[in-house]
Amino acid sequence: MYARTWVRVRSIYGEPLWLVVGIAFPLFTTFGLGFLYRSSGVGALAGFAVLGGIAVSFWSNVVWSMATQFYWDKQEGIFELYLVSPAPVSAILVGMSIGGFVGTAPSALLVGVVGWQVFGSAVTPSWALVATGFVLTIVALYSLGMLLASVYLAYGRQAESLNDSVMQTVSMFSGAYFPSVGSGSPFPVSLQLVVSLIPLTIGMDVLRKAVFSPLTSAFPTVYEDLAILAVLCVVFFVLAQWAIGRMRERGRKKGTLVVRQG
Amino acid sequence: MLRPLFASIWMGWQREIGWGNPVVAILARSVAPAAGALTAEIVYWFGASAAGLFDPGRLAYVVVGASLYGQVALYAYVPTSAISEGKNSYVFPQVFMTPSSSIPYLTGRCVASFLESVPVVVISVAVCALVSSEFFHATLPLIVSPLSVVLFVTAMALIFPSALGLGYLLGSYAIFASKFEWAVPSYIAGTLMILSEALYPASVLPWPLSTIALSLPFTYFMRASRDVLLYGSLSRYVTDAGVAFLLGMPLLVLGLLAFRAGENRGRMKGFIDRKSM
Repeated sequence: MYARTWVRVRSIYGEPLWLVVGIAFPLFTTFGLGFLYRSSGVGALAGFAVLGGIAVSFWSNVVWSMATQFYWDKQEGIFELYLVSPAPVSAILVGMSIGGFVGTAPSALLVGVVGWQVFGSAVTPSWALVATGFVLTIVALYSLGMLLASVYLAYGRQAESLNDSVMQTVSMFSGAYFPSVGSGSPFPVSLQLVVSLIPLTIGMDVLRKAVFSPLTSAFPTVYEDLAILAVLCVVFFVLAQWAIGRMRERGRKKGTLVVRQG
Repeated sequence: MLRPLFASIWMGWQREIGWGNPVVAILARSVAPAAGALTAEIVYWFGASAAGLFDPGRLAYVVVGASLYGQVALYAYVPTSAISEGKNSYVFPQVFMTPSSSIPYLTGRCVASFLESVPVVVISVAVCALVSSEFFHATLPLIVSPLSVVLFVTAMALIFPSALGLGYLLGSYAIFASKFEWAVPSYIAGTLMILSEALYPASVLPWPLSTIALSLPFTYFMRASRDVLLYGSLSRYVTDAGVAFLLGMPLLVLGLLAFRAGENRGRMKGFIDRKSM
């Protein structure tokens, strides 16, 4: 786990351009949607766009550097090394998650600092709730990334080609930039229940409530959100472990575990 | 000149759409742009409703711009993608070893992407209109008639030289770059989203961004599209589409010169077939 973390951290911090590359999508989207909030008459809500930009930095890392990583590793012949090493695959995935988080943190921080400088949104943070919500959101998101890594490995190119669609669609449904659950949501209740299964949805709801409490809805309460998020962390982590086992078993039976796709 | 151009258009179409059923491929291509446009639509709805200033006309303004900017960015990125991907797949070396320049090849690939983008924009606007009607109970005041559609597609064609010029400029960079070319579309799309009046008028931006926005051909393309789809103003359309086209010409010439220079230097120095990471 430590070894995989170290490789990922080194690969990101050893190439300063990664910071520039990683910040592009969330920063531009933050600016665009922040100015849209401002032009729509409520400049105070521009902070939602900034918060969304921070979360999307991590979501982007989960999609592009967690979900697809094993597939790319297989294509480049590294995945065999993981399989023959005595380390459990789950430890490698956890190491990848920690490294990905540490590598993404500067980009996310930069989005937050620049965003708040430009839009100057008033915040009323409850730091304990912010910290708890943030940690649980990150754990749930990277657990989902571990689960997706197995799915992408099993389905290869078909899954990889869906990456861009998954990235944008989940960002939209999870309400990274606007509330998608609760009283401010544009979605019907049935859809809100479905999108609540995405950790980013509940995570964003917690963070918005913890940072901008006067601007957010009262239901569900922040503590209810935290409880749901904690459950999602456990569920996705367990599912990820199960999927890794299934992926190995299926790959061994079919002989496709290390077969590269053209 | 025309034969390689048509061959490249066909090749680009096969790469983007020909991997499966064309309808499924177009629908699959439309998911991400439609989701992006919906995000902007909902952000406007949420913000304007909170302020008590919701206006369906303004919602349509956001929908049209949000559906368009990503597509312009998409075909501006094609030369970069064709070069970096082509280096890795050995397609690009086969193009540049021909006696002519790679320009007809890249132009053809851009045209294929442009052809693909027209239905994607239509689908994106249609999805946003449906969501607006179902969820916000607001009908987008879009003017959809044969004339407005023809003028809108003409506006898309008139901005094509600008996107092509930008594409050549980025393509000249891609000849020498060995990593991170895949990040280029985020930068183009992001810049267009902020500066081209895609989501809000340029007056919202602080100086000097507002001035830069008014000097971009893409800003006038957005205006021309809205002139026909929202305001029904032919006179404003002619002016805005004309300005978009005229501002795009220097960009196209600059892009062609930069690409020609880059290609020659790339051939001499051996960069042209160096694989990217």
